[in-house]
Amino acid sequence: MINVRIKKTWREFGLDVNFQIPHKKVTALFGPSGSGKTSTLRIIAGLEMADDGTITHGEEAWFDKMKKINLIPQRRSTGFLFQDYALFPHLSVEKNVAFGIKGREKLKEVKELISLVGLSGYEHCYPEQLSGGQKQRIALIRALARKPEILLLDEPLSALDMETRLRLQEDLKRIIQQFQTTTLFVTHDVTEVYKLADYVVVLDSGRVVKQGTPEEVFMGKRLSTRIQVAGKVVDIESDSIMAAVTVMHEDQYFKTLIDTEEVDRLNLKVGDGVVIGAKSSDVILFKALIQD
Amino acid sequence: MNFAAPFLLTLKLSAITTLLLFILGIPFSYWLAFSRFRGKFFVESVVALPLVLPPTVLGFYLLMAIGGNSFVGRWYESIFNKTLAFSFQGLVVGSFIYNLPFAIRPFQSAFTGVDKKLLEASWSLGRSKLYTFLFVIFPLSRQGIITGCVLAFAHTVGEFGVILMIGGNIPGITRVASVAIYDEVQALNYGTANIHAAILLAFSFIILAIVYFINRRFFTRLF
Repeated sequence: MINVRIKKTWREFGLDVNFQIPHKKVTALFGPSGSGKTSTLRIIAGLEMADDGTITHGEEAWFDKMKKINLIPQRRSTGFLFQDYALFPHLSVEKNVAFGIKGREKLKEVKELISLVGLSGYEHCYPEQLSGGQKQRIALIRALARKPEILLLDEPLSALDMETRLRLQEDLKRIIQQFQTTTLFVTHDVTEVYKLADYVVVLDSGRVVKQGTPEEVFMGKRLSTRIQVAGKVVDIESDSIMAAVTVMHEDQYFKTLIDTEEVDRLNLKVGDGVVIGAKSSDVILFKALIQD
Repeated sequence: MNFAAPFLLTLKLSAITTLLLFILGIPFSYWLAFSRFRGKFFVESVVALPLVLPPTVLGFYLLMAIGGNSFVGRWYESIFNKTLAFSFQGLVVGSFIYNLPFAIRPFQSAFTGVDKKLLEASWSLGRSKLYTFLFVIFPLSRQGIITGCVLAFAHTVGEFGVILMIGGNIPGITRVASVAIYDEVQALNYGTANIHAAILLAFSFIILAIVYFINRRFFTRLF
């Protein structure tokens, strides 16, 4: 368990958060842009220093303002995946992955890791020769290679197009599960939270406003949650009364009708992440003609 | 032999100055690039002074600083039993200071040009600042480092004012190529002066062509 209780003030923004990252679980740090997600992640990694508070990993303090403890990033045992991956452009894929590994078994380990993400044969390529998705996977195994206590992912999929993103969500989930590493990832995409996270901490304007499982946080009491689909809005057709919203979930599309007023109230746009839920009483079942 | 001596001395002075700037200039530039010291602007201004000062002004103050009556001059004389001014070692000191901005500025701007995220990635992968410097910053700054070294070398070849002020014109010791040209013109030997000058012109042109060639990123994978 990692306990985070930190405060930091910039000129026009204040961060004051207190939450826990459960052991060997995947936690999402969710919120709109500018809510302090990335700063929180960077402070946990030791790349920035909080003004006050504590960060503890089990019994070990990584940061404690009162006790004047502030471990340097090298001693925090974190694996950090940067939003734009930060692969070393002058090093081959193999050397990038090996960068954090010490010891004799280095080369064998690197080969195994590269094959784990399906990129065998790319060992001697340079980052500029890789696609966005390939870079992301290499950066991920580079971060995992030194077996960190916590994996910190800063919007791991945001730089990719939607199709690659959906495919890589699966990969990311598989790899994280395989390593069984405590993970904290930053996202503003509700579908990613649903897909990847066991637990979610919602930030807004530098404060934790909600935390719990994705269902607890997003559904609340508004829905009986018989049916839940998290996806991305791909189309909105509206007239003055009703709007037909098409939502993509993985490779399937759902169309739902809601009041046009509701669309305006939510400021719903194409590309937004949404959850569609339906109470059992509202479900309309069509009997389809099925031919054997 | 007499004809070649000033050129050999020039090359020796340029090589030693460049080597010293490389060894001492790299850690100093690293400090300038990454330190949060508030008085850094002051240090940067001092380093850049030779860019704007007339060489005679710099030469005059250097002469005052290393001459026989100065603290440094007397200290040097008590150890080596000879004066620092009007010696080859004195020229090296003068050249080093005069060329500081030509090496330091490209080094520093190359270091600050390395994406900060790459340094953070290295740290979060458990690597020390020294390791990060040697295996991330240094290789990614190679163009700036090569440019700084080449410029410092070429600029030393072309030095005149500072050298004349602190080294004078002692054949075999301080009489470098640029001073030899001045000397030949004074003696109305225009032919010899012309040959000396043409060699320096060709040399300087080649050096600059190399710098521009490197900056075309053509060498990126070769080093």
